[in-house]
Amino acid sequence: MNDRPLLDASDITVSYRHEGRWLTAVRAAGFSLSANEVLGFAGESGSGKSTLVGQTLGYRHPNARIDSGRLLFRGRDVLGMDERDLRQLRGNRIALVPQNPTTSLSPGMRAGAQIAEVLTAHDFDGGRVALRDRLAELFRLTGLDGVEGMARRYPHQLSGGQQQRLMIAMALACRPDVVVLDEPTTGLDTTTQKQVLDLLRRLKTTTRMSMLYVTHDLAVLSEIADRVGIMYAGQVVEIAPADVLYSAPRHPYTIGLLGSRPLPGAPAGGRSEPLRGLLRRDQLPPGCPFQPRCAFSAPSCRDTPQALVEFAPGHAVACQRHELVAARTSAPRVAVAPKPTDREAAAPLLELDGVSLGYRGGGFLARPRPVVRDISLAIRAGETLALVGESGSGKSTVARGISGLLSPLAGRIRYSGTPLAPLLRQRALAACRDIQYVFQNPDASLNPRMRVGRILEQPLEVFFRDDAATRRRKITAALESVQLDSTYASRYPDQLSGGERQRVAIARAMIVEPALFLCDEVLSALDVSVQAHIVELLDQLKRSRRIAMLFISHDLAVVRVLADRVAVLFHGMLVEEGPAAEVFAPPYHPYTLSLFNAVPGSKAVTLRAPPATTPPPEVEIDGGCTFAARCPVRIGPLCNTKAPPPRRTLNGSTIHCHHELGALATIGGTAGQIMEQGRA
Amino acid sequence: MRWWRAWWSTPATFRIGTAIIAVFVAMAAIGTYVLPYDPAQIGTGKPLEGPSLSHLFGTDQLGRDVFSRSVAAARVDVLVSFLGAAGGLVAGAFLGLFSGFIRGPIDEILQRLNEALISIPFLILGLLLLTVLGPYFRGEPIAVVFVLTLIYLPRVARMARSAAIEIAARDFVTIARLRKQRPFTIIWRELAPNAAGVLLVEFAIRAGYAPILVGTLGFLGFGVKPPTPEWGLMISSNRNLMVVAPHTVLGPGLMLTLFVIGLNLFTEGLARLVGRSARTGAA
Repeated sequence: MNDRPLLDASDITVSYRHEGRWLTAVRAAGFSLSANEVLGFAGESGSGKSTLVGQTLGYRHPNARIDSGRLLFRGRDVLGMDERDLRQLRGNRIALVPQNPTTSLSPGMRAGAQIAEVLTAHDFDGGRVALRDRLAELFRLTGLDGVEGMARRYPHQLSGGQQQRLMIAMALACRPDVVVLDEPTTGLDTTTQKQVLDLLRRLKTTTRMSMLYVTHDLAVLSEIADRVGIMYAGQVVEIAPADVLYSAPRHPYTIGLLGSRPLPGAPAGGRSEPLRGLLRRDQLPPGCPFQPRCAFSAPSCRDTPQALVEFAPGHAVACQRHELVAARTSAPRVAVAPKPTDREAAAPLLELDGVSLGYRGGGFLARPRPVVRDISLAIRAGETLALVGESGSGKSTVARGISGLLSPLAGRIRYSGTPLAPLLRQRALAACRDIQYVFQNPDASLNPRMRVGRILEQPLEVFFRDDAATRRRKITAALESVQLDSTYASRYPDQLSGGERQRVAIARAMIVEPALFLCDEVLSALDVSVQAHIVELLDQLKRSRRIAMLFISHDLAVVRVLADRVAVLFHGMLVEEGPAAEVFAPPYHPYTLSLFNAVPGSKAVTLRAPPATTPPPEVEIDGGCTFAARCPVRIGPLCNTKAPPPRRTLNGSTIHCHHELGALATIGGTAGQIMEQGRA
Repeated sequence: MRWWRAWWSTPATFRIGTAIIAVFVAMAAIGTYVLPYDPAQIGTGKPLEGPSLSHLFGTDQLGRDVFSRSVAAARVDVLVSFLGAAGGLVAGAFLGLFSGFIRGPIDEILQRLNEALISIPFLILGLLLLTVLGPYFRGEPIAVVFVLTLIYLPRVARMARSAAIEIAARDFVTIARLRKQRPFTIIWRELAPNAAGVLLVEFAIRAGYAPILVGTLGFLGFGVKPPTPEWGLMISSNRNLMVVAPHTVLGPGLMLTLFVIGLNLFTEGLARLVGRSARTGAA
């Protein structure tokens, strides 16, 4: 065993040409990777992390130029290699798992053929039998061997998680030394993400490969990385062993990033300061790039370039004031006062009573298949109800039903005591005004050909009879309420950042003074640091205007910050509902528990959902529990045939399960205690 | 200054096409005032005289100056082509956006009618319409405009409908629906501006074919009435002399070809320009 690292990069600078000018994307960055090590890189989008690790594959964009640097793989410089040598290297010794499997897999090629192509392209010489054996081995390694007829399936016949496993299998095909993973779980929901991370961890021990893992999500890295590097504006600003970085971060940016995303283990009330501002590449000072956003900066930071200095073994930071930063942040954080609980008595603002929803599919006379079945929910004025569950569980469908876009198949929706017409057409204008929808993707929810001012003016024209001056005043006020100044009114959506666009979308909903917000995954299209701002904004609006919210999210960490009550959906069935504190504490519904365990960063795994290869329950459920097929504590045929009874806990939450509450309390014991500690 | 720079940053095909079109528009507007001869005047020179300095394109059977007639013909051809394409665009865009936005049974019916219209070869449709319109309208430029509009309507409508379906699925349209805005308000404010790029290119393509169609109708004797100078008509009436005096056909043919080339260059450049701005997001 020699001590030389597998990969050794130093002083890498890469620029991109943009409108005739060269912009530096990576600035004098370096790292090293040893055998069987997982090195993670995190940072906001545009921080240059993908560009940096892309260099290990000799990635050369026609618009990019390598200004300096050296990247040694087993002593050979990758940056100087010609195309032929690179082809020998790529896929063979260093392999890539890209972000989006749906676009990376060839849609017209069967799974087996895609992997075989990788092997034959790299001179696999063993004949057909050996090829088939290798395929079977790869499927076994990646947990795909349980999927029926896997090799003959087309990508569209696989789930998102299976597609990503297939990409991993392709990367492993030639037994590479290093696998580069570029946001491999970003497009997946939390449960699937957890399974992919488990797989990668297992592969690390079985295949002894090294990994370079790029993501914007520090929580994901905490699950898998041995060492973590933080990038900002093209520079590596801090690099340290994972446990050190999470427990004792030194760079102000790392501290801000960790504060931006509430980790499951962190206290729920005492949120640390999220990051200020945005990364503006056009306004980088000559010195430390983070200086404009830094809470700890001194005047000299602006002009003094900060080099990465190793101050403790394995822990390097590019900040001249890191000792002072460490001293100041170790002070205990102030906890926020508990949320008011005087809402219990108030009459519900919105009530769903046995509502089923579905889409008409297939033929003209086909009966609509219910996506959501027999759901009863209530939201009080000023209260936030979070609707959680994995993708496909019917969360958005519920919001569509409430908004009137989708007429319920059964059940009733009542709004402040009076029944709400099932279809938009039959609803009163006032009801439409009271219930406002905010969508996931601000790019799609703002008309690109309309100025912000006009976008905000439209709802006013419909719902109010204001004169022009009042309208202008309201638009300014609405923009200010989402922390944008009035000059934004004259801009087009494409002149705004993603976070600003989502603010405008929220302002458009705010401007009509609604009583209820339907927030459909409003954060998932945004960058982590931007997410923190939007969460803060929603929290503020909720407190100052007493707006009730249906907050749809798959992100439990955010739900804990915002929600008063939580409802958990699984495949259209409500499995648990109650005050947030109760849902986050035992007794748990088995599905709720598996959701918590899937949150990256939570180490409390006492019970596992069956391995990922289990297909989603497409079996016909005869009125039974939809979770039965995946439930680790299934009782028996009873679960498949009989609807689970609602069981009320003492603290006002309801769990739908055939198990007694006492039994449920014990299965989630350990995990529950840890979540408890988090809240205390 | 900014306009000047923006102009030079457009694709070359767009600039050349625009220049050619500009020349033809100028011909249509002021051609008759600056011409060396009155296009209708008989005996400006000897009949069937070849090209010379005094008669650039020579003279026809009646001694009329072919150059003057070819330039004067731009008035009818350019105007009729643009109006016809514009008519087809406006009517087609309206029907297509409406149909694609409301969907359901009305959309189905409109689409079947549309397909029926498209399935008739356009020349036959044109001749049929002109026959039905009767002798009173036939020969008037407005009749040709009408025919062009009806030929282009279903083709534009189809394009507009598919654009509308794509845009109507976006969230900002859903938001407008949730405001209970009237369908026509939504179509006008949310759909039309976003379909404008596609429709503009569609218009340019149609306008590029229009002169050929006008010429064809004229050639077949279903266009404008004989004394009016029109390219297709001029080619038609001189086709017997093609061997003896090719210049009588070449003159109008050259004009027609040049105009169509100009329009096509313009369209290609425009498509690239619109595509580019859609990608970079510049309005």
